Amino acid sequence: MLTCHDVIDVLDDHLDGALAPEDAAALERHLAGCEPCRAYLATYRKTRALGAQAARLEMPDEMLTRLRRFLRERVG
Amino acid sequence: VPVMTSDDERLLLKDAAGGDPDALETLMRRYSGRVYRLAYGITRNPADAEEIVQDVFLQMVRKGADFEGRAALASWIHRVTTNVALNKRRGKRREVETSLDDCLPTYEADGHRAGPRAYLVADWSARPDDELLSGETRRVLEDAIDRLPGHYRAVLILRDVEELSNEEVALTVGDSVPAVKTRLHRARMALREILTRRLGPPPC
Repeated sequence: MLTCHDVIDVLDDHLDGALAPEDAAALERHLAGCEPCRAYLATYRKTRALGAQAARLEMPDEMLTRLRRFLRERVG
Repeated sequence: VPVMTSDDERLLLKDAAGGDPDALETLMRRYSGRVYRLAYGITRNPADAEEIVQDVFLQMVRKGADFEGRAALASWIHRVTTNVALNKRRGKRREVETSLDDCLPTYEADGHRAGPRAYLVADWSARPDDELLSGETRRVLEDAIDRLPGHYRAVLILRDVEELSNEEVALTVGDSVPAVKTRLHRARMALREILTRRLGPPPC
């Protein structure tokens, strides 16, 4: 029987679909009976997505302008 | 973006190395965003990120046509940007970085998570992204990311934004796959914890 500790340790592999089928099945059985782990999984998954979204920045246009000037001065 | 063959990419780099403005422009359009995101993601400082972008592009153009196609160029960009960014941070490591241990889950002897039940079952994941990524919550998320050590942020960006595999991240940062996986998991647990403390019911 998996503990909450066991489940949390393999959450990344679970979300990546990297668990062996029998391990994934054991994890699902634990989740079915454990509200804290269901909440943990849901918020962990959401954290992963939020972190990625927060990091999807564009380089500011003025930096691109300065990069162009920087390279033209040094290359060629 | 049209599909480029390795030969096209080599020619582009060769032209850029010769100072051809169109080739430089194409390279910048294609790769500057990626270099900037990674550099900013690791340093969390726009001025540092800009210096890194310039440094990486200058190295790339000087290396010219030595790259064996686009895949080799992309992994070179990831590796060099990560190294330059981590080295830049090493010089000026900020005080805000703290141990993650305070932000990792704790367990009872039987393996159940420790803590008040209202906190353990707190689930804020159904809140809309617009709300979670703006205002006070966005600030909490950014502060939480600031608190991570740079090499934790590096693996997060490479994995979740650049969408490399664990194996590719390990090659990029020069660590083992298990070390990368542990670091990713600890970073995610810490961010989750900080967000839950802010968004879930109070822990006592």
